[in-house]
Amino acid sequence: MTDSHLAQSARSARLQQLTQLATNQSTILVGVMILLTIVFSSLEPKFLSALTANNILTDWGSVALIAVGQTFVIISGGIDLSVGATIGLSGVVSAWTMANVLGVDQTIKGGEASGALLIGTLVSVAVGVLVGLTNAFLINRFKIVPFIATLSTMGAALGFSVIISKGAPIGSASNFALISAIDPKVNPFSWAVIVVIIVVVIVGLFLHKSRFGLYTYAIGSNSFAARAAGINVERHLTKVYVLSGALAGLAGMYVYLRLGAGSPSSGTGRELDAIAAVVIGGASLMGGVGRMLGTVLGALILFTVQSGLIMIGVAPDWKKVVVAVLIAAAVAVQTLQSKNRRTA
Amino acid sequence: MDVPVIELTGIVKSFGPVDVLKGVDLKAFAGKVTALVGDNGAGKSTLVKGLAGVQPYDGGTVKYDGQEVHLHTPREASALGIEVVYQDLALAENLDIVQNMFLGREETRFGTMDEGTMERQASETLQGLSVRTVKSVRQKVSSLSGGQRQTVAIARSVLKNAKVVILDEPTAALGVAQTEQVLNLVRRLADSGVAVIIISHNLVDVFKVADYIAVLYLGTMVASVATADTNSDDVVGYITGSKTYEGKNV
Ligand SMILES: Nc1ncnc2c1ncn2[C@@H]1O[C@H](COP(=O)(O)OP(=O)(O)OP(=O)(O)O)[C@@H](O)[C@H]1O
Ligand SMILES: [Mg+2]
Repeated sequence: MTDSHLAQSARSARLQQLTQLATNQSTILVGVMILLTIVFSSLEPKFLSALTANNILTDWGSVALIAVGQTFVIISGGIDLSVGATIGLSGVVSAWTMANVLGVDQTIKGGEASGALLIGTLVSVAVGVLVGLTNAFLINRFKIVPFIATLSTMGAALGFSVIISKGAPIGSASNFALISAIDPKVNPFSWAVIVVIIVVVIVGLFLHKSRFGLYTYAIGSNSFAARAAGINVERHLTKVYVLSGALAGLAGMYVYLRLGAGSPSSGTGRELDAIAAVVIGGASLMGGVGRMLGTVLGALILFTVQSGLIMIGVAPDWKKVVVAVLIAAAVAVQTLQSKNRRTA
Repeated sequence: MDVPVIELTGIVKSFGPVDVLKGVDLKAFAGKVTALVGDNGAGKSTLVKGLAGVQPYDGGTVKYDGQEVHLHTPREASALGIEVVYQDLALAENLDIVQNMFLGREETRFGTMDEGTMERQASETLQGLSVRTVKSVRQKVSSLSGGQRQTVAIARSVLKNAKVVILDEPTAALGVAQTEQVLNLVRRLADSGVAVIIISHNLVDVFKVADYIAVLYLGTMVASVATADTNSDDVVGYITGSKTYEGKNV
């Protein structure tokens, strides 16, 4: 075998990887999306409308942000249960700051408050970063497993958001749902969703094209190997959890804009949606495996199912059953794929 | 005799109350293979992990080319050209061959990773080691056989222009043919001027490939001899503690 032969087969393997990527998880997920759309729209023709698309994508936005962060965490071999609570806490803290420090009240329309909203966004992200740092500190310093470490910060974040808000939403939901206030036309893609998509693309490229992303896979795959190769595993994990926290903070602002209020419970349970999206997207909870496109599609499927079931008049609780089936199917596909790979 | 590339003197290491290394001396020479043998739990891997900087020693001195050095992190060891192929291999299964070979020191161009250059260098290195069994350098490591993984791990240290390569039981999980290949690889590595330290439980392999044999017994170096000056029975005796080496250590 000549050198050029090896390099050539490397290229063809890369091509193969590309086609594999296309034939694997993502294609299956797109197929599932199309199937769901056909089923729902044949049962309820109104399903195929700008309004439905807008609803699905707007729901998708907040979970996409935390699912993208969760993808990094899960690939690194960890899990972040605190992101849902962080949405609530960052939303509350940022709403409190905007109301009490910057004097934003219900009479201000979105466009006039843009300066305050910008500061609110920074505050929200800062809160997320703080939660992420706390997670990383517990995991690195005290060697607490991520599940427990982030479970504790989840509890603390929930507690703080209830204390700060005294249990009630800050701001008023009535006239202040800013996503629609800023742009009241019903497009499938609201401006906020477009912002989310831009963030997702940037973070996705960061995962798949940068050294940071590669090291995330390496650590999740074999943290001893990563350490032996000179990677500072603790510092890397800190960045991963901070990224997850920051994106949860951004999601907190998104939800605030959506509701027009910072509510302590606004993110409750969202962490499970995010984890479900990542797993449906093809990541392994063992670490080292996952794709950003899979996560994004996974999250989209979740909300398509939710929206569709409501529209065809099925009790929304069925969503949980459907999601459970999707998760089981995703894991089954994954197991089959890795078995094929081993015998190949 | 030449100045050893690596000279360990009085190395000690404990885990809590357990003294694993109790004042160990060891030398390794350029172009030579030094076999490190000893029973399970004798402290071989622990000795090696200190040299790699992943698990620093508690005490003793490490000389590199006659100069005292301190090895506290893998980067420090790597900067001196010390590379370790671990017993448990330390490859990331979900990454491909190129990614594993370059992990921690990727080639970049304009801030992004230079995949083309890395691919070419990886192929050339495998080529240089006369490795023919690997189909593509973009294969995931999880799809490789034990021998192929061992080869990738060794190629990784070659790629780094290592001066000292330490192999912890490189043939333990391998069949006859693959063992032969890896031992040939080890020999070629030494012939190219690298100081090789190889840990093995297989004395046949050891006598086939090593220039020197160092025997560790319960955290103490009990013998350190040229392969030509000893035999298998004696070495077994030193390993089990049933014989005492009377000669001078190398
Ligand atoms: N991180 C650790 N914590 C506590 N004890 C350890 C640790 N690493 C090794 N030991 C102990 O140190 C002793 C030597 O272990 P080491 O792995 O160096 O042996 P070895 O000679 O490589 O054995 P083997 O041939 O089985 O690989 C053993 O008793 C082991 O239990
Ligand atoms: Mg060992």
